[in-house]
Amino acid sequence: MVLFKEVLLPKCNESGGSSGYLPLALIMQYHIVVAVAICSAVFVDSRKIRGISLAYRKFYKEKKTFLCLDGSKIIPFDQVNDDYCDCLDGSDEPGTAACLNGRFYCTNLGFRPCYIQSSRVNDGICDCCDGSDEHDKRTRCPNTCRNLGQQERAALEAEMRAVDDGMHLKRQLIKEGVSMWQEKQNQLKDLQRILSGLQTKLEAHRKRKLEADAHQAKVMGVLKSPGDGAGGKTAARIFGQLDINKDGSLTVDEVQAGVVNLQDDRSLTEEEVTALLGGPGPADLFRFQQTLWRSLQAAKKVKIKADLRGDLGPPNEGPATRAAPSAARQGEANLKEMEEALETTRAEIGNLEKVLSTDYGSSREFLYLQGQCFQLVVYEYTYSLCPFSHVTQKSSTGAEVSLGKWRYWAGPQEHPYSRMEFEDGAPCWQGPPRTTLVTLTCGTETALKRVREPTKCQYIMELWTPSACEQQREARRRGVHSEL
Amino acid sequence: MWMFWAAWLSSCLTVTVAVDRGNFKTCDQSAFCKRQRAMTPGQSPFRALLDTLELSDSRLTLQLINDNNKVRLLLELYRLQGNMTRVKINELKPLKPRYEVPDILVTDPPTEPLSVVSRDENGVVLSLGAEACRLIVSAQPFRLDIMEGPQVLLSLNSRGLLMFEHLRPRKDTWRYPSFTFLFFQAPDEENAKEDESGMWDETFKSHTDSKPNGPSSIGLDFSLPGVEHVYGIPEHADDLKLKTTDGGDPYRLYNLDVFQYELYNPMALYGAVPVLLSHSPQRTMGIFWLNAAETWVDISSNTAGKTVFGKMLDYVQGASETPQTDVRWMSESGIIDVFIMLGPKPADVFSQYASLTGTQSFPPLSALGYHQCRWNYNDQEDVRAVDAGLDEHDIPYDFIWLDIEHTDGKRYFTWDSSKFSQPREMLQGLMDKKRKMVAIVDPHIKVDSGYKIHNEIRAKDFYIKNKDGADYEGWCWPGSAGYPDFTRPDMRAWWASMFAYDQYEGSMENLYTWNDMNEPSVFNGPEVTMHKDAIHQGAWEHRDVHNLYGFYVQMATAEGLIQRSGGVERPFVLTRAFFAGSQRLGAVWTGDNAAEWGHLKISIPMCLSLGLVGISFCGADVGGFFKAPSTELLVRWYQTGAYQPFFRAHAHVDTPRREPWLFGPENTAVIREAIRQRYGLLPYWYQLFYHAHRTGQPIMRPLWVEYPEDAATFTMDDQFLLGRDLLVHPVTEEGARGVTAYLPGRGEVWYDIHTFQKHNGAQNLYIPVTISSIPVFQRGGSIIPRKLRIRRSTSCMENDPYTLFVALSPQRTAVGELYIDDGHTFAYKENKFIHRQLTFANNTLISRFVDLIFSFLLSSPCV
Repeated sequence: MVLFKEVLLPKCNESGGSSGYLPLALIMQYHIVVAVAICSAVFVDSRKIRGISLAYRKFYKEKKTFLCLDGSKIIPFDQVNDDYCDCLDGSDEPGTAACLNGRFYCTNLGFRPCYIQSSRVNDGICDCCDGSDEHDKRTRCPNTCRNLGQQERAALEAEMRAVDDGMHLKRQLIKEGVSMWQEKQNQLKDLQRILSGLQTKLEAHRKRKLEADAHQAKVMGVLKSPGDGAGGKTAARIFGQLDINKDGSLTVDEVQAGVVNLQDDRSLTEEEVTALLGGPGPADLFRFQQTLWRSLQAAKKVKIKADLRGDLGPPNEGPATRAAPSAARQGEANLKEMEEALETTRAEIGNLEKVLSTDYGSSREFLYLQGQCFQLVVYEYTYSLCPFSHVTQKSSTGAEVSLGKWRYWAGPQEHPYSRMEFEDGAPCWQGPPRTTLVTLTCGTETALKRVREPTKCQYIMELWTPSACEQQREARRRGVHSEL
Repeated sequence: MWMFWAAWLSSCLTVTVAVDRGNFKTCDQSAFCKRQRAMTPGQSPFRALLDTLELSDSRLTLQLINDNNKVRLLLELYRLQGNMTRVKINELKPLKPRYEVPDILVTDPPTEPLSVVSRDENGVVLSLGAEACRLIVSAQPFRLDIMEGPQVLLSLNSRGLLMFEHLRPRKDTWRYPSFTFLFFQAPDEENAKEDESGMWDETFKSHTDSKPNGPSSIGLDFSLPGVEHVYGIPEHADDLKLKTTDGGDPYRLYNLDVFQYELYNPMALYGAVPVLLSHSPQRTMGIFWLNAAETWVDISSNTAGKTVFGKMLDYVQGASETPQTDVRWMSESGIIDVFIMLGPKPADVFSQYASLTGTQSFPPLSALGYHQCRWNYNDQEDVRAVDAGLDEHDIPYDFIWLDIEHTDGKRYFTWDSSKFSQPREMLQGLMDKKRKMVAIVDPHIKVDSGYKIHNEIRAKDFYIKNKDGADYEGWCWPGSAGYPDFTRPDMRAWWASMFAYDQYEGSMENLYTWNDMNEPSVFNGPEVTMHKDAIHQGAWEHRDVHNLYGFYVQMATAEGLIQRSGGVERPFVLTRAFFAGSQRLGAVWTGDNAAEWGHLKISIPMCLSLGLVGISFCGADVGGFFKAPSTELLVRWYQTGAYQPFFRAHAHVDTPRREPWLFGPENTAVIREAIRQRYGLLPYWYQLFYHAHRTGQPIMRPLWVEYPEDAATFTMDDQFLLGRDLLVHPVTEEGARGVTAYLPGRGEVWYDIHTFQKHNGAQNLYIPVTISSIPVFQRGGSIIPRKLRIRRSTSCMENDPYTLFVALSPQRTAVGELYIDDGHTFAYKENKFIHRQLTFANNTLISRFVDLIFSFLLSSPCV
């Protein structure tokens, strides 16, 4: 039995639908009789092989009979392409519209051959570029294959060049991405360093302020308990003692230098210190208070080295009595400034951490889009797409509306980085919040190319970027040149 | 198109923020309805003055006097050709002329001689042609009875509810001391009533109706002995069989833009056809109440025989247990002008009514295909993409539609300069695919001195005026808008000329028109429509002409489409508002429905009701306009819509996209199959339209129309017939596993059109269904032509062969027809068509030439 298998040929327009869904059975049962009036068609000599691809010609050799390609029926060969459907699979009418599930082969010399639904044969619309589908002479179809072929080749070549260029750019972008990533990491480290520096300074300032306050109080003659000096400030003081290099944080070395085992005065191992500090890396005052300080207070495992304890006397007597109030004020202003700087740095760190935690593609090829915005004017609106951040629409009257905030990559499994989803924009009147779906298309430039709103408040954007370029499959390359 | 409520501050500081039932009047809130209804059955104050009787060849006139106030009325009786009687009642000497509805009757109905059979002091007996057919005029109290032999077919004023508020001068200068003129008349007994509220002005919500002419309402009752089933008076979202209105509101006829209408109630909707059909196994009759003002119809049912028919009728009734239906019509102004269509068969009533108001327009074949609509296809690219999408999924369609957003700021006849910058290019693209487009043109015109249409209308002084004589302005889609006076023939002629290709820029011959909002809709008007005291040409109040407005808009538009082609091409115009006679002008749809199962279900009785009163080209928005349909509902709606005359998918702008391929391949396939079934049956649809056009027979028919004696069919409205030969029982229940269809006709057989399985008539048949099932049956004994090569559009299928589906009767015979013409011009009027009668008998199919002459008017007498 011969099977009528789908041949892998392109559809005439890329969007051509499948043609195998129609139920064909028109079997009259009981008392239903069918009579068919057939319009006479003008047959030309070649009509028997009309609508058949070269590969299938062998099944249509002039013989007495024709076997339907699904093997279901044998009919006289005269009935092939006689504009009346005999075979259930439509194979007897490859060149007419008689079979509902039939298909017609456009040879399209000079362009791509393809299949069209048989319902498009002789319907007055030119579908094959060689005009072969309109063979009843009612409609004149010019042969446009050569032109189309040239156009397509040009377009494909341009596209391939574009993809190649795009790939080249993409590689650069990946490289850039690597250094950008490194840069951002360094930036983060710098910021963290600045932060801890600030924290130390702040602590010092706080301390100084407290001292200034205390001093002022003393000077103002409200000193109540001369022996006081340690109290709640002890943690800071011990921290200060341990912080040998006075950088506002305790390293393992510093702790090892100042803290010993309670029982046997043995020096602490690095692991022990790390555990005491609640983690690796230098600890600031806050962390110290939360971790090591508690252990010291509890006095179960560790203690301050004996030679250091002696230093834990009352703070040095500082400035002159007259200067005391102004020093306190000065301290207050500095403190505030420092706190603000600290906050800013913290926020910057938070942002940077967020940026660094985002997925920028398998090779971080989309990292370069971070922090950029792309605009497009469509009718009365200016659209602005800021990848990994947000989308807005600004009308010519000036009102700006959020079309969504960055959510996630929403591409299909095989191309996860082909779509971006932005959600939770400004709510529509009596409706849900606006959303935007961004499709990423391979291009040699990065630009917002298209914005649509197919359903109210659901936007679809097309962003061109080299990063969306994919290595071309060889088959595709070859496809352009074959079949010409 | 729904209407949204901008927070609109009218001069009276109303802010309407929600739309509900409360925006529309009940009978109690409509002063004249309340007054009319306050009058209860009893002895009529009217007396016929027999000595004033004048009989010409075909017309009888007689004065009536109201013994309460001595006001005289003039009664005119006509016997019309085709077994109809016309009854007109007007004031004998009205203070000023009362409105008589023009342009609805296709011709001055031809009359037949009327003769007096007998006459005495109690009344007159007139002959209506045949021996047994009599019209009896009783003098005191005045009433009319139409008899056939011993049977009373119908009585007028038998319950004494004739009411005629005569025009009167205003006597209330004291109310407004600044007015120093007016009339001084001796008080009469009606004076007391003058103070009844609502006579000289009426306020609803924040709107005051100034009523300078005072009360002018009319009302009359009709009794239908032996009748239990009445139908018609669309448009209402209600069952096919009309319900009694005792204890509730009457059915209301007043064209209104109702936001999210409710199902199963008598509220007025977008259109009004004041035609009621009565049906019993013995006889079908019709009452056509030709009045365009706000109208209410009460229906009650009781037992006949309580009324006394006079000595002439005494012998008639023995036992008096006959069921009876009473119908009472009440209108705000105008005159009583009633056409009584005496049947006797349903087909006769349709012919009779068609002889008065015309038949269904014969649409271009393409208009019977599938219409793809949405508020809105955003721009040319969107149109192109939807067109390509339908091709890609191999779904045929003929028309793609553009709603209001395609215009430049809701200025109709224009295009948005950026979104639709090249309309001709777009239309040419569609034409290359043998497809067409519809663009909306609404009758509200943006008040904007930069807008040509507005400037011309203003220059020609074509706008409707407000009560103070300035151009009436209301709020609608464009903001402040004027409303052209479509009751003016010169205005309509000008409007029609605007559709010329050189006037309507960007238009082409494949661009057709949709008239929406033509009730008219006025967002800030009373009940979302025009003030009743607005003034039309001839000083008629909007009150008088309200229900005609939409009819005239469609009339002028259709005329424009005909004229632009030099009278060659058939027009296609869709309208939301309509009136009696609108069938001549194009298609109607059931307005802004919702994506709910109930709305799918109600589409059947709504279109059936319209078909009964002549308007066959009816459809509901497939999928439902408001809200998003579930996939199952959408699929079922496509399946139902494919078997209703006007097949258009439409959706509100706020709903998600729902083009047929957006619900997964399985559902796409099911929807595609439904649409393809439609295209396959188009030869039959076209033939049905041709018949509707020639004869006025409905296309979508209740079963009782073809099986008038089968009482089981009388209330059926979940299934219907297309013509005589197809029976459709769409699946309209969510999650249905099966439907029970009633196959009528004892001794007949029906064939499932999908499986060809045979079933006997006169049975309830349970049919198991899947999501792809559309239960449709072909009557045994019929031949239905189909085209089996389903292509992209109707014109792509133009040259394709026909396949005849011959379903044999138990006698192994079948008859059918085949009608073919060019599909789009008026050439068929010059007999340029093929019309074959097909007969199958003795295993032979014979095709014969069909006689061209259709007997339009029935020559049969009363019987």
